[in-house]
Amino acid sequence: MRFLVSLAIALAIGIGVGLYLGLVQFPVEYTDAAMPRLSARHQDDYTVMIAYGFQADGDPGAALERLRPLEFDNVPQHIQETAERYISSSRGVGDVRALVTLAEGVGRLTPIMEPYRQVEAGG
Amino acid sequence: MSQRESAPTPPKARSRYDRPRRPFSILGAIVGLILGMGVGLLYAWVITPASQETVEPWQLDADSRASYTAAIALAYSEDDDLGRAVERLIALRFPGDPIQGVADVACQLASTGAAGSTGGLTALRAMIDLYRLQGRAGCADSLITLAGDPGTGIVEIDLPTPTVTLTAPPSKTPTPATIITTPTRIAVIPTLAPQNDFDLVGVTTACSVEASGVIIVEVYELNGSTGVPAVEVRARWNDGESRFFTGLHPNRGSSYADFQMEPGIDYLIDLPGRADPIGQPLSAVPCTTPGGDRAVITYRVLFRRSE
Repeated sequence: MRFLVSLAIALAIGIGVGLYLGLVQFPVEYTDAAMPRLSARHQDDYTVMIAYGFQADGDPGAALERLRPLEFDNVPQHIQETAERYISSSRGVGDVRALVTLAEGVGRLTPIMEPYRQVEAGG
Repeated sequence: MSQRESAPTPPKARSRYDRPRRPFSILGAIVGLILGMGVGLLYAWVITPASQETVEPWQLDADSRASYTAAIALAYSEDDDLGRAVERLIALRFPGDPIQGVADVACQLASTGAAGSTGGLTALRAMIDLYRLQGRAGCADSLITLAGDPGTGIVEIDLPTPTVTLTAPPSKTPTPATIITTPTRIAVIPTLAPQNDFDLVGVTTACSVEASGVIIVEVYELNGSTGVPAVEVRARWNDGESRFFTGLHPNRGSSYADFQMEPGIDYLIDLPGRADPIGQPLSAVPCTTPGGDRAVITYRVLFRRSE
């Protein structure tokens, strides 16, 4: 009887410890995930990187093609929203300018972006 | 003597029947804990593992990781922020050196036809710049050297083992003649302008099982979209040559001609009398397709009518 009671109590404690370890401390980590499952923070960062790439090559087609793996229904809309979110949350000016340049490149310049437009000096 | 008599006797070991019983069974507790943890872990890892809604960059599949790596290099090419680039690369958890990881991805992309588009070429160039500046090297260095303005999309292909020695074609440009009209005055007759009908636009690479080891030659009018049929194309190698014409594959368009390479042989392509040979011989080197199949590299050589 003493053995069975100890076994039952320890079993309950063990299940609790096992669940904690398996779900919280060492949860299952997935690999081979597709780009759309990237966390929002990294999707934003990826968009910023593509925006910098657009600043470098000025090719809106290539930028849209690079953003296609994120599988947004409307990629220009995603660019516009990211740019506006970066502006409203006071993110780095370099990132904002890159996003605004890309938004303008795909025809999504909005009034809130105007101050961040990079106008080339006329000759 | 009396001291010896009063010395305490050692306590007598108690038998198990004399000890008070513990309130719990150690054996039962250990077995219960082990079983319980096993059940808990089985439930958490196998039966209903916690669903992960979002992932980190290192958890992406190979293609997405390559895209992410290219994006990092593109951003670095513009912002020059190496610290930020390395931070982003660390998030990809390359095994070993993250910069070398960029070189490895660039190598993989270069041998699977990523250079086939202008955007892909720009990304490759950014990756090569990134790892070269940090003193790393990769096979993309030897596969692709970008010439001049990255926006032109012109690729020169440096072969790893250029072994053939090809005789240079006869130049259509006359050698400048020097005519001495007076003992003290030299008149130089200028070189005539080249008489080529077509200019080489560029050579791009791809890797596919369907077009394994094929040199595709396309000849266009000046507008870049209208194909020119019946243009003679020549492929030369160290002990032979083959001539073929554009437009003989009706379903491929009037601009198209192709030639099947033999592994290990280098080829020079030109339009005899109408365009100079390409600058570097094309070599049938092995490559890996995006699907992971082995193939021989495919070249696409573009000519356009001269202005």
